Amino acid sequence: MAGVSLKNVVKRFGSIEVVHGASLEVEEGEFIVFVGPSGCGKSTLLRMIAGLEDISGGEIAIGGVAVNDVEPADRGIAMVFQSYALYPHMTVERNLSFGLRMNGNDKADTARRVAKAAQILRIEELLDRRPAQLSGGQRQRVAIGRAIVRDPQVFLFDEPLSNLDAELRVQMRVEIARLHAELGVTMIYVTHDQVEAMTLADRIVVLRAGRIEQIGKPLDLYDDPANQFVASFVGSPKMNFMAAEVASIEDGRVTVALVNQGSARLTVPAENGFAVGDRLTVGLRPEHFGREGEGDCDLSIRVDMAEHLGSTSYIHANTTSAEQLVIEREESRSEIGMEHLTVSIPAAKAYLFDASGARLR
Amino acid sequence: MRMRTRAAYGFLAPYLLIFATFWVWPIIYSFYLSFLATRIQPWSFNPTVTWGRLVVDPAFLNALKNTLIILVIQVPVMIALATVLAVLLNSQLLKARGIMRFAFFAPVVVGEAAYAAVFRLMFNADFGVINKLIGSIGLSPVAWLGDPTAAMALIIIAVTWRWVGYNAIIIISGLQAIPQDVYEAATLDRVSKPRQFFFITLPLLKPIILFCVVLSVIGTMQLFAEPFLITNRGGPGQATETLGLFLYRQGFTVLNFGYASAVAYTIAALAVLISLANLWLGRSAR
Amino acid sequence: MRSKSSSTLRRSIALHAVLVPLAIVWLFPIWMMVVFSTMPENAIFSPNIHLIPSDRFWENFLILQADTDFLRTIFVSVVVALVYTVLSVLLTSMAGWALARYSFAGKGLVLLIILGTLTLPYFVVVIPQFIMVARDFGLANTWFALIVPPLFNSLGVLFMRQSFSMMPSELFDAARVEGVREWRIFLFVGMPLARPTLAALSIILFLASWNNYLWPLLINNRPDMMTAPVALGSLIGLTKVSWGGIMVGAVLLTAPMIAVFILLQRHFIAGIAAGAVK
Ligand SMILES: Nc1ncnc2c1ncn2[C@@H]1O[C@H](COP(=O)(O)OP(=O)(O)OP(=O)(O)O)[C@@H](O)[C@H]1O
Ligand SMILES: [Mg+2]
Repeated sequence: MAGVSLKNVVKRFGSIEVVHGASLEVEEGEFIVFVGPSGCGKSTLLRMIAGLEDISGGEIAIGGVAVNDVEPADRGIAMVFQSYALYPHMTVERNLSFGLRMNGNDKADTARRVAKAAQILRIEELLDRRPAQLSGGQRQRVAIGRAIVRDPQVFLFDEPLSNLDAELRVQMRVEIARLHAELGVTMIYVTHDQVEAMTLADRIVVLRAGRIEQIGKPLDLYDDPANQFVASFVGSPKMNFMAAEVASIEDGRVTVALVNQGSARLTVPAENGFAVGDRLTVGLRPEHFGREGEGDCDLSIRVDMAEHLGSTSYIHANTTSAEQLVIEREESRSEIGMEHLTVSIPAAKAYLFDASGARLR
Repeated sequence: MRMRTRAAYGFLAPYLLIFATFWVWPIIYSFYLSFLATRIQPWSFNPTVTWGRLVVDPAFLNALKNTLIILVIQVPVMIALATVLAVLLNSQLLKARGIMRFAFFAPVVVGEAAYAAVFRLMFNADFGVINKLIGSIGLSPVAWLGDPTAAMALIIIAVTWRWVGYNAIIIISGLQAIPQDVYEAATLDRVSKPRQFFFITLPLLKPIILFCVVLSVIGTMQLFAEPFLITNRGGPGQATETLGLFLYRQGFTVLNFGYASAVAYTIAALAVLISLANLWLGRSAR
Repeated sequence: MRSKSSSTLRRSIALHAVLVPLAIVWLFPIWMMVVFSTMPENAIFSPNIHLIPSDRFWENFLILQADTDFLRTIFVSVVVALVYTVLSVLLTSMAGWALARYSFAGKGLVLLIILGTLTLPYFVVVIPQFIMVARDFGLANTWFALIVPPLFNSLGVLFMRQSFSMMPSELFDAARVEGVREWRIFLFVGMPLARPTLAALSIILFLASWNNYLWPLLINNRPDMMTAPVALGSLIGLTKVSWGGIMVGAVLLTAPMIAVFILLQRHFIAGIAAGAVK
């Protein structure tokens, strides 16, 4: 087992820099998830850890040893690919044992490792089949099995579940969590999926355009996002944003006026970094809207569409200045069919961001 | 990953060695040769007896003229025929598709020596089956190997027979890349089949047809085995002497390597020029 | 109101009215090759038209074998074509693999040179090749001379490169992570996956070598190293020669390729069509 450490890691393809100095310490046995929009460099970062991409700058260490110049096979890692990358012309058994056989591993040991991996993943009956004869979930298991056989110190996953249907995805997610608990090894996992990130991760790394925006425990990211990007990226449905203007500042507190919302004002604790008249953004998660009069200011909205799921309802609405909002409500049957609604904003739950997206607190 | 770069060079090296030795170096060397007088030892720099001789040598000009005549007739005829054949062979209505395709594709596998032998015998003026068939319908026999025009026609017939299927295969692969729904849409728009051919198929096939034209131009510029074997070394007289044959004579009968290299470069330059002209015409017509 | 089925019928009749006669014309030379090879010499040169095979194939073969040791030339041709095909497939696959799956300094240049010189006529290189092999190496009339120089052919490089570059790279990355060496990845993952392309390429290369006429004609003048097409060609030019025998030679040269064509038509056509997809 080993931790992974990234120090100011840079990646350039030709003259284009796609990762701009990423630093990260992954503890031994930790489950780390990389999330971020498409093209932000998640796979690139993972492939650099694997040794499949050259490191243009900075240093990557695994188990305390710098691995910049170490071949992938000698890094003690195993990787599971999005497309499974199973060798189509080999049986499952051959797929699992290919790497060991090619490296002259002892035959009996190879057989033992394959049997063990097959047992852990419950694919013993599939050993004689070819990949084309397997279902998506089975292929995924084999791909993971191929990683287990190597007995690695670090598992790397690049969107391993994204080719599966929703139901299988849930099932495999549970399996991966079980695997992590069972093997106790370090895992680094790339995904697009909020739920995977929130449920699997010990810590989440949020990336944007080749930069790490924030690292933290799932709920910490949710409760205390470092900036507007993380705030909007973590949580589903997304956090709502409304334009505001600084109305007055008194020590340690700022009062903002929601733009175009009449007299709606909020007073929020915040130190400095702004002046009266500055444009800011107020953020509020869907579940934090209150009923009329319950919060610190009221907001009247026009309902576009409401989804009533029984215990919860999602109301999609517009403010008078055409900002899109999503409001989560419990017990809102009484509101079915209403076109206009007044909701309230509790100042204690609101976040403030400046024009560049930085969090003000 | 310096190791992977090393692996890449390792994979490339054996082929590159052969390629450099037997392709790249000869290209350079023959250009150099084309400036040397090679009839007398030691070879000396004297382009007037190579490049200079080209423009005044009637034998070369005759070979050039013959080659261009064959080119101008044979390539368009063959490509047009290949296009029509491709469309017909690709038709859903075709019965016995396997045999039909075999008939046109089989010549592709017949070697030059073998087919030259058959053509030479079939087109024999006195005993050839072609003249016997012509005679049986009451026409007078043709002196295929004795009359200059007939001999040219024979070369053109032979080359077309051999290569039309080859081109049809390439064009069919292009046809099959055209999505079927384009035709379905056209049929719903009441566009007739012949119009579909001219206004949908042909424009979409244009790149691939141009590719065939370029291939054929290069092939025809190098025509050698047919006049060598079928019309008996460019006969009658020098009537079917081609550039390829002329080069063979200069290079390997007379062993005048310098002059032959100048001829080779002329062939290459013409092939490139004519191909580029075709591509250019194809582009501007769009 | 035109009925759909009757117009389809009309088109079908027109189609076959054009294609069937044309197909017969196209098959005619191959058919006549067979007919001639089975006819006695005097029948070939009689004024009658013979369109049906006769029974003198074996006699004609014996005459051919007396004119020139044709079986020996077939043997030479088979050896040359087989060795050439194996070597060429191996060399061009390796080069195609390097160009498809690695990035390295000079890759663009190599590709540029290969593509840029691809359409140059063979005649540009044949004279220096001859001088080099015959005079400088002193290797005329050898297996080396027959087999190695034609290995320059770059068709396989482009063909294999295309095939390899369409394979998902994760497949090879997976092997790499497992510590499989590069040449083993090539041999045990890349090559097996390229099997259809390899089949097509092998057929095309074998055919090219089998039918190759000019180079063996130039580089060899020893009877026991003569290839079959060259031997056949040399007979055509002679005045006193058995045409029945020559036709047997033509049949022996052609029949195996026709058989390959029929058996492996799909690969064959793929091989030729691939020339166009670049
Ligand atoms: N081989 C390459 N050459 C040039 N640019 C590349 C290469 N691979 C990736 N990139 C670029 O690097 C950036 C990051 O790509 P990467 O694949 O890491 O994104 P990602 O976060 O994994 O995206 P996704 O979620 O879509 O998988 C992208 O802008 C991509 O275009
Ligand atoms: Mg990715």
